[in-house]
Amino acid sequence: MWAYLFRRLAYNMPVYLGVILLVMAALRVNDPVYAYLGKNVTEEQIEARRESMGLKEPFLAQYAVMVKQIATLDFDTMSWRQQGTTVGELMSKAIWPSLALTVPALILTSVISICVSIIAAFFRGRTIDRSLVVIAVLGMSISFLVYIIVGQYFGAYLLNEKLNTEIFAIHGYKSGILNWPRYCLLPVLISVIVAMGYDTRFYRAVMVEESNRDYITTAKAKGASRQKIMFVHMLKNAMIPIVTRISITLPFLIVGSILLEVYFGIPGMGQALISAVTNQDFPVVQAFTAVFAGLYILTNLMTDVMYALLDPRVRLS
Amino acid sequence: MKPCISVFVLALCALFVGCNGDGGTDTPNPGDPPVQGSDSSAEKVLHLAMRTAGPQSLDPIRGTSVYDNRACNPVYETLLQYSYLKRPLQLEPLLLSEMPTSEDGLTYHFKLKKGVHFHDDECFEDGKGRELVASDVIYSWKRMADESNNPNGWWLFENTYVGFDEYRKAQNDAAKFDYDATVDGFKIINDHEFQVTLKEKVQRFLWTLAMFQLSVVPHEAVDMYGERFGRHPVGTGPYTLKEGDWQPGTSLLYHKNPNYHECYYPEEHMPEDVDAGLTKPAGTKLPIVDKIEVTMFEQDQPMWLQFNAKKLDFIEVPAEYFEQAFNKRSRKITSEFRQKGYTAQPVPLLDFIFIGFNMEDPLLGGYSEKNTKLRQAICLALDWEERNDTFYNNINIIYDGMIPPGLDGHPKDGEAKTSFRGPDVTRAKQLLAEAGYPNGEGLPEIHYYVGQGGNSQEQSEMLRRHLSQIGVELNVHLVPFPTLMEDVDNKKAPMFAFAWGSDYPDAENNLQLFYGPNGSPGSNHFNYKNAEFDKMYEQIRTMPRSDERTKILEQMRDLVLADAPYAGSMARTRFYLVSPRLKNAKITEVFDNWWKYLDVEE
Repeated sequence: MWAYLFRRLAYNMPVYLGVILLVMAALRVNDPVYAYLGKNVTEEQIEARRESMGLKEPFLAQYAVMVKQIATLDFDTMSWRQQGTTVGELMSKAIWPSLALTVPALILTSVISICVSIIAAFFRGRTIDRSLVVIAVLGMSISFLVYIIVGQYFGAYLLNEKLNTEIFAIHGYKSGILNWPRYCLLPVLISVIVAMGYDTRFYRAVMVEESNRDYITTAKAKGASRQKIMFVHMLKNAMIPIVTRISITLPFLIVGSILLEVYFGIPGMGQALISAVTNQDFPVVQAFTAVFAGLYILTNLMTDVMYALLDPRVRLS
Repeated sequence: MKPCISVFVLALCALFVGCNGDGGTDTPNPGDPPVQGSDSSAEKVLHLAMRTAGPQSLDPIRGTSVYDNRACNPVYETLLQYSYLKRPLQLEPLLLSEMPTSEDGLTYHFKLKKGVHFHDDECFEDGKGRELVASDVIYSWKRMADESNNPNGWWLFENTYVGFDEYRKAQNDAAKFDYDATVDGFKIINDHEFQVTLKEKVQRFLWTLAMFQLSVVPHEAVDMYGERFGRHPVGTGPYTLKEGDWQPGTSLLYHKNPNYHECYYPEEHMPEDVDAGLTKPAGTKLPIVDKIEVTMFEQDQPMWLQFNAKKLDFIEVPAEYFEQAFNKRSRKITSEFRQKGYTAQPVPLLDFIFIGFNMEDPLLGGYSEKNTKLRQAICLALDWEERNDTFYNNINIIYDGMIPPGLDGHPKDGEAKTSFRGPDVTRAKQLLAEAGYPNGEGLPEIHYYVGQGGNSQEQSEMLRRHLSQIGVELNVHLVPFPTLMEDVDNKKAPMFAFAWGSDYPDAENNLQLFYGPNGSPGSNHFNYKNAEFDKMYEQIRTMPRSDERTKILEQMRDLVLADAPYAGSMARTRFYLVSPRLKNAKITEVFDNWWKYLDVEE
């Protein structure tokens, strides 16, 4: 297995370096120096600033520096925009609020969607199945932004007004498990509602396919209970597509949810990234890209390993 | 049930990890009750909003935006400040014991106020803030000359003080920047007195002394914190801010400076301030509130909802909620808010919003009759009133010229004789024909550059429609703001949307936008050149305020209007809502150090 993993890593290395190269080249289409100048500048000041930002170095030299930093896990480069803050500090601060949102949201969405899809698949074609499909499609049809705006107004503002106490915060974030329900539960619920539609439809399709297999008929013939067939036999055999779907989502957990973070004032990775992109803060954008691309490759590898663990027929070679 | 238990445990772990990471940051939820068991229950806390991601640095020399200005002002101080209640705006001493004096208008004598101390901080011996001395002022100014600091406000000093430009060049060319090297125009007399000598009698010199970029900082803090000084500010201001109190993009938390020097709520005021209750606290020691919590909002809705939930003390009403708060026609506060005790304050800005032309562009630029008429035709085709009504709830002020309302040189009723402000489609067509493009025939499409964001797309569509009425075709380039700056600075944009907020309340600040030597990448983005104008500009730059100066300002304004290097103009008015618990608020956006005067009901 280890040989397989090392080989896959080696195959992915050119892709990884290519991604970094592309992002660095794309960022440099526009000159960022103009985002960092005050009023009434002179040509000399522009040139001096360009030099202090390291932009006068040839592109390949800048690329080599970036690759070296990644190889040595050096995230001590200063953010251009946030004076005195290293990229590493910025990411390490922002990752926790993001995870406080995305991890519970992923777990809740997956558990609920899988349960609902099993029920829908078991009652395939009946009213309960059709109703669930209609609800899922309805959920998917409405924009995420609408959920956030409406959810924030009714769930945070109006509910608090009516109850004369603050159940959910309109805006803000505080760390600590006791603060989590107040600051994160509402955004998590909004996120779950939105994602459930997509996931339920996908998982239902998987479950429907599984429910037509011979082993299900055999289990029924043997007199296995409905719960056992659904949650043991069917679920276990559907794990490969489920794991694939969840693992695809994993790298995005650290990126956070930009819209939720911006509306609810949660200082996560999404907000940090969008701010860095808007302000042409190259060191931050490049570091985010490096981390994200790395995680994506590692998650893919992990998924392969998971396949082998879940299904003995799969061999890593 | 094993899988269910595992998932539950996993979820709990995720919650625990996500919520307890060391790196996690806390954003105050405005209006949170004080922590139980602390003695902070009697603290007065002011809750403010910043409709942006907030400042980028708290080092004054790096500051450029209004948000940098607002965030720096509670912590740092300048030699002069604006009188809080007096109008028209006037300067008064802040770190000085009296206004600077000069016999010849060139050499100014400064006396620092005694007993002003920097904030207590580890950078000082025993952690006690030392007294401010004259060398701190000179050191702070020299920091602006040091290119390695990436300063953004050198223009405030450029070509103003004897020997300072030479000092800057010599030190930046040297291997090491020497802060101890002398500048001919700066002379320290003793710890509390110094004098500066100007190259010429520049009027703006005094105004710049109230700008936050010229705040006084201690060298100990800069030496100790280096690049982190921008996150660890140490000044003499009414509030302190510890490093962890600024969560970039989310919040700022200021604490009252217990060692703040003797500063009192002003006695001098305008007659109308009495009825507004602004005179009652006269003589109160500043600052008044114990803490200031500033929350950054990147969207309007959460800010508006927080304000409605009484968790913010005042806000600028976002355009999309304007009609909830104000009657659109009368612009008076709605009965719903009035009954709850809210009050409204319209705040006109010193704004110059315009659409500029690059005067070096082969098609739109130049001073020939043909090109001038083309620009004039474009100006006449635009309907600023419609733009104001459609996009700004008709609350902005439309005017001729580049001098905003309230300043000397602004035309009476906003109208100047030489103006080519539209809409006058008939005259526009006539001028276009005289320029050799009847109904736009033979005229290539015009490239218009505008920054992305807000309703730029929609505003550009309106502009396109206005110009299509006279046969002018517009090619709109919606670009990120830094790209717009680059395109304008490189003279690539023939026509562009821009705005200028006056740095100080003097028309000179707006007229320098047309001064020939300030061409791109300087502030004259029009690349306008007019020898007669330049001569008059050099004259008014050194003249004190007088009727004679105002007449010259008007002549300069009309000269530019006739050449039409831009189409305009518009000045925004912000409408603020003030909560019933906030006291002493006389909101202004010309200066930003007035939070120290505010009070809240407990």
